Amino acid sequence: MALASPIIAEPKHDKLRQLGIVALNGMYDEMDAEGVLKQAVEDLLPGSIALVSSFGADSAVLLHLVSKVDPGLPVYFLETGKHFPQTLAYVETLKAHLGLSNVIALHPDADIRRFDPDGTLWETDPDSCCYLRKTEPLEGVLDGYGGWVTGRKRFQTAERGVLPHFELTSDDRIKVNPLAYFTHEDIEAYKAKHGLPQHPLYEAGYKSIGCAPCTSAVAEGEDPRAGRWRGRDKRECGIHFDFNGSIARPVSQASLTLFKDGAVRTDPWKAWTEDDTAEEARYTHVPLAVFRDYRDVFLASPHPIGLRVDPGDRVEDVAEDLDRFSSIAINFPAFTDGRGYSSARLLRERFGYAGELRGVGDVLTDQIPFMRRCGIDALVVTNAATRKALESNALAEVAHYYQPVGARREVPAGTRPFLRRPEPRVTASARSDT
Amino acid sequence: MYRYDEFDAAFVGERVTQFSDQVRRRIAGELTEEQFRPLRLMNGLYLQLHAYMLRIAVPYGTLSARQMRMLAHVARTYDRGYGHFTTRQNIQFNWPKLRDVPAILSDLASVEMHSIQTSGNCVRNVTVDQFAGAAADEIIDPRPVAEIIRQWSSLHPEFIYLPRKFKIAMTGSPNDRAAVKFHDIGLMAQTNREGAVGWAVYVGGGLGRTPMVGKLINGFVAHEHLLAYLESILRVYNRYGRRDNKFKARIKILVHEEGLENFKGQVEQEFAEIRGGVLTLPLEELDRIEAYFAEPDYADHGVVAIDVEREKILDPAFGRFLENNTFPHKRAGYSAVTISLKPIGGAPGDATAEQMEAVADLAERYSFDELRVSHEQNLVLPHVALTDLRAVYDGLAAAGLADANAGEITDMITCPGLDYCALANARSIPIAQDISRRFAAPERAREIGKLKIKISGCINACGHHHVGHIGILGVEKKGTELYQITVGGDGSEDAAVGKILGPGFVADEVPNAIERLVDAYIAERSDPGETFIAAYRRLGDAPFKEALYGNG
Ligand code: SF4
Ligand code: SF4
Repeated sequence: MALASPIIAEPKHDKLRQLGIVALNGMYDEMDAEGVLKQAVEDLLPGSIALVSSFGADSAVLLHLVSKVDPGLPVYFLETGKHFPQTLAYVETLKAHLGLSNVIALHPDADIRRFDPDGTLWETDPDSCCYLRKTEPLEGVLDGYGGWVTGRKRFQTAERGVLPHFELTSDDRIKVNPLAYFTHEDIEAYKAKHGLPQHPLYEAGYKSIGCAPCTSAVAEGEDPRAGRWRGRDKRECGIHFDFNGSIARPVSQASLTLFKDGAVRTDPWKAWTEDDTAEEARYTHVPLAVFRDYRDVFLASPHPIGLRVDPGDRVEDVAEDLDRFSSIAINFPAFTDGRGYSSARLLRERFGYAGELRGVGDVLTDQIPFMRRCGIDALVVTNAATRKALESNALAEVAHYYQPVGARREVPAGTRPFLRRPEPRVTASARSDT
Repeated sequence: MYRYDEFDAAFVGERVTQFSDQVRRRIAGELTEEQFRPLRLMNGLYLQLHAYMLRIAVPYGTLSARQMRMLAHVARTYDRGYGHFTTRQNIQFNWPKLRDVPAILSDLASVEMHSIQTSGNCVRNVTVDQFAGAAADEIIDPRPVAEIIRQWSSLHPEFIYLPRKFKIAMTGSPNDRAAVKFHDIGLMAQTNREGAVGWAVYVGGGLGRTPMVGKLINGFVAHEHLLAYLESILRVYNRYGRRDNKFKARIKILVHEEGLENFKGQVEQEFAEIRGGVLTLPLEELDRIEAYFAEPDYADHGVVAIDVEREKILDPAFGRFLENNTFPHKRAGYSAVTISLKPIGGAPGDATAEQMEAVADLAERYSFDELRVSHEQNLVLPHVALTDLRAVYDGLAAAGLADANAGEITDMITCPGLDYCALANARSIPIAQDISRRFAAPERAREIGKLKIKISGCINACGHHHVGHIGILGVEKKGTELYQITVGGDGSEDAAVGKILGPGFVADEVPNAIERLVDAYIAERSDPGETFIAAYRRLGDAPFKEALYGNG
């Protein structure tokens, strides 16, 4: 079962760029891997290209090419927190050996503890685990570059033989595949020729190496990737990003609707639909009435679930079970319906709910300050102007409050007993340093 | 009077900035009218028949001379030279341009005024007895608590999108001049057995198409718990008030449908949860706010005897003014003076820029810089020394404001009606003007005595017709404007809703019908001291019905 898959609007490609890509492939079809990479890094996208590496069994070849062309090229490593210690050691080995000066580790959001408190999410819900540990940390990073270097090879793709050196992604970025024409043997030969260090687990039978819990050794002759998510119906890692180096589906702006902690992000949650079942639901905001009807099933389910509170719902009715929800969505079907404000305050102030509390529905700029004061800390925003205002931190807010509401973000102002001010905002930049 | 500190000033300043931006976005087409509507309403900006109307709050009806002058400035600069005082102790300007509104609001902010929450489905401006702080009969000046309620309810994040508008009225006197039982919440000062002063809380009163008298929900709430109690009521209302039908959305319907006991149970349950919490009012804070409303520096005039009868012979107009437009003050040697905005044949509640300035001058000179707006659409100079009454009268006469009809039949409450209001069924101002001309003669008015006529142009009852001793309601039947007449309403502590006695009248017949009612009253009253409403209570419908419709 796929995780919430946001509908990605396929942007219309710029015709000229499309043609340009065809021309590029023509021009560089004959060029070797190093030439392609050099062209991309120096001419095509100077300063605006990066790569993501798994530091897995066959990452060394591409990284070696990088070190020859530009050892300062940004190399991102998804530090999922689930890697083999050998992989972490291998990162250091390659860095030192190749002189890579710009390897950047991407950590999951601090929020991860909420979704995966005991670190076993990979077991019950690997899609979500990958989402939180890989897709999400990569998102912000993706936006910053005009193109990406991947390690994909023709022999690995389903439609063998059609992978070109240059591709245009659905959001108009350029993907560069210097190893497109490499065969398995080419890789081995290259490693041997340049004396590249082997991943410590390679000899032990690990041919494709990802996070420790999800990787096992493959038998001789088995598909190298058979060891990943063995026994599970899962091939790709994450939805948007193939761990082995291919950008499967670049994140489109249209799917960025969740505003939280000062930044817009893709939303791992989805709305409850008719087709959902209590047993299977995960990352779903379950309507309060449905939750009550199938309470036992939901309580027994191992998946993370959320709650949707509609106007008129009595949050008192689920007060006992609030610990069960990783996220609660307060629905404002029309912004003039103010019942959600009371629900939010009750959840926060009376029932001590400390998890994500999001406003969904008719969420407009002018109501957001009120929502926040009632304890709402995440917003699903579909209105473009509102999103813009949020991102640029340009909400027109009256930041002086006359009444204490018991929300956590407020501090008393001066000596008058009731007056409050908002707590200084945690900005996106301050967070990314952590 | 309350003075803004830095915090208040910053609050209002930010609000002006915010709304200016919203206006800009509207003018630039970034906001649709549908999106702009609730925003402008929250800032008191209505779209009326001909133009925008801006409603400005006069918190608990108290104004300084400086503020009144600013209102005059707004009237002159951005409007057609006048403003209209309303039954909500607010002032409305009927002709501002949308693009001028930000400038108006920032001018107002410079004198500590605003238009926040004068409309929209939120807690509106708190209204109080217009003689608060002056009246001889009051237990407590309600304004400090009103100011605290104003602050608590300003942009309250939980109660900004209630099912419907929400009005709170307060009186510090057992003689209710603020019609508290006809508000969503009415607060009446009360002394408990220990001698402490607190509040009796009435809930679910209101006019409109379903008039209801407020019900006592709690006989005594101490100052310190009042905000928590109000928050409890508001929360129950916000969660459970009806939102499916605009006409059933007021709290009175919720109280009515749930039943008082049930509703009270929910409120008390909520109150039990939050009582003693963050909303507990520290008495030092109440003291601090009370200091702003400290009594002025009264001079010791000793006993000043004014012989009204003698004055009436010397100068009948002034004599009448003394008789009708003065109100007993708590301080010997002083009086509260009502400035009637009901000139014969004029539009009730209107004042020109020049008149506002004249009144501001008089307030500065003779009333410790204080003014009041009454819910009966008059102005009040609350603290005038008896020895200054003549000078005040002369000053008012020069400004054309010396009408001595306060409390008399021509001192009518009238809503704007079809001349301004988009919702109206019928005109109301011209009806008021006709009646006022009919009873223009001072002797006739005097003979009739205290009689309150209230006129609304539609069932929304902005003119409070339900609580008029005689009420007039504009309705539309088959394309013609008709006026339904009610008798026996009362907005005071003896709250009652007026009764319809028969079919409506066309506009031309209204003055005659009123005259017949008045004649019947004079013929039937036990003595000249029995007021119209007292006579009605004693006699019942019959004589009045006969007066209106003949006996058949
Ligand atoms: S590979 Fe496994 S452990 Fe790593 S992020 Fe995905 S599911 Fe989680
Ligand atoms: S009573 Fe009706 S006509 Fe009069 S002001 Fe109110 S809404 Fe308008």
